[in-house]
Amino acid sequence: MIAQEQKPMEEILGYLDGKQKVVVMGCGGCATFYHTGDKKAVNEMAEKLTKEGKEVFKIVLPFSFQACDIDKSGIWLEKNRKEIENRDAVLLMSCGDGVQIVADYIDEKMGIPKSVIPANDALGLVGGGPTKFKETCQSCGMCELGKTAGICPLTACGKGLMNGPCGGVRVGNKCEIDEEKDCAWVKIYERMEKLGELDKFIEMRDPHEWSKAKRPRLFEIENPVNIMTAGIGALPGFIRLVIGPKPKLEEEGKGE
Amino acid sequence: MGEKMGDEVYSDLMRELKEGKYVFTGELEPEKAGDVNEPIEMARELVGLVVACNVTDNPQSFAYVNSMAASYLIQKETGMECVYQLRCSDRNRMALLSDVLGAGALGLKNILALAGDHVSLGDTPDAKPVFDLDSTTLIAMIRKMVDEGKDLGGNEIHNPPKLHVGGAAAPGAAHLKAEVAKVKRKINVGVEYLQTQVVYYTDVLDKFFNELGKVDVPILVGIFPARTFGQANFFHENVAGVDVPPDYLEAMRKTKEIKDKEKRKEEVDRVNIEFFTGFLEHLKGTPAAGCHMMAVGYPRIIAPLKKVME
Ligand code: SF4
Ligand code: SF4
Repeated sequence: MIAQEQKPMEEILGYLDGKQKVVVMGCGGCATFYHTGDKKAVNEMAEKLTKEGKEVFKIVLPFSFQACDIDKSGIWLEKNRKEIENRDAVLLMSCGDGVQIVADYIDEKMGIPKSVIPANDALGLVGGGPTKFKETCQSCGMCELGKTAGICPLTACGKGLMNGPCGGVRVGNKCEIDEEKDCAWVKIYERMEKLGELDKFIEMRDPHEWSKAKRPRLFEIENPVNIMTAGIGALPGFIRLVIGPKPKLEEEGKGE
Repeated sequence: MGEKMGDEVYSDLMRELKEGKYVFTGELEPEKAGDVNEPIEMARELVGLVVACNVTDNPQSFAYVNSMAASYLIQKETGMECVYQLRCSDRNRMALLSDVLGAGALGLKNILALAGDHVSLGDTPDAKPVFDLDSTTLIAMIRKMVDEGKDLGGNEIHNPPKLHVGGAAAPGAAHLKAEVAKVKRKINVGVEYLQTQVVYYTDVLDKFFNELGKVDVPILVGIFPARTFGQANFFHENVAGVDVPPDYLEAMRKTKEIKDKEKRKEEVDRVNIEFFTGFLEHLKGTPAAGCHMMAVGYPRIIAPLKKVME
């Protein structure tokens, strides 16, 4: 998921300077998960802006309807065309992905160009939970995890080194840059030690192939997941997860 | 096709190391200035005392005069051979490659290949950190350029640079085994000598040499006689993997109380000589090939310390 936090109000108000009528739009994806674009966040933002004298119209996207998934968010945009048309700006409470996809859509598809302003700062692709998360991958396009015992050298190492550790590891094996964080390369060493792969640790890994991340990267799939099948298909799994018994691990050898 | 490692000697530093001479090197720090007058003055005082001087490249990520330019000017003005420090923090592989070619063209003979501190630690913290290569891949790239006359893409280099590449080691690293494994990796890819981060404790050094075992590359051990309490304290507080002993720090702190400038200088020298004599005596019994004296702005201390090693 894409972690995010709301920008300081001061910054947001700066972008909205001179823009009186504002649409505040949320996101039912990551931004709902991180409470930066759910219904509550949209309502609170609308309240603050109203206090600042703005005239606000709210668009809340239901859970799992992401701003960046234009197939779905487009439905809400079209439904509210009139309101958008009459406003000076759209404040989008999603990551930068959602902001850009929506901005493109209302400009190029709906033909009503508006400033679409980000309310949030995206903080990276994170994993973990339920309350603590860490950035684990930067979608570099050429995964190195097979060479580093499953720990990303580009993301988990503060310097993104392919051959660490650097000389700056702190007491307690913390990172040179931030003593709150563990040194990724000490972790890689320790995991490789457990796996009996220290010979691989000593081997030099070639410089990363950044050519695999020529930006912006474009991507296409043949069979897009459609709203109905995805929604209904996911339901039984979701119910089982909430009320059902814990899944049992398959016994060894079974099912072969 | 160039010669394989060990066959060619391009610098005085490498010659002395190969001859098995006990080697002393110094350190010069270009500043935030439009000239390199001060390091040139320092270099003049060190000529004859050390075989070569490191010229720092944006140390601790403070942006100073470009280290290649400084190395060239120092060498030209004073005849002091320079070790051009080159960090990966600020340059991508293309820039590093062209800098190595530039260094060769300017007649620089030694490069110390470093990852470098993260830019957020210095005085330009919003800079984009690069680290496109790391110290190991930089060493490998330089060896390929010098020995095979090829760049990273395998493209032919016309008249390849003739220079040596050294690397760093951190005996005081928090995780010594991982550090030593990395050092061995640098040795495997052809580093020609190693220069350690500053060490103050003999047992730290002994543990490092023990863990490393016998290796074929010469190792210079770094010491840091500080010119002022402030310098020593900065090191203590800001440099990871280096513990400055409290009694030394305290003795240095006390020198601040001496009002008379000359007397204070004498006391600083006395504290340093007293502290480092023991360390240097110990160094004689280790596999170290020499000593890198990181006495930045403090050339007068080199001669008395060298004397200990005679
Ligand atoms: S190497 Fe790191 S950034 Fe690249 S894909 Fe793998 S986990 Fe992601
Ligand atoms: S301390 Fe470890 S994680 Fe931090 S920059 Fe150095 S090698 Fe990377």
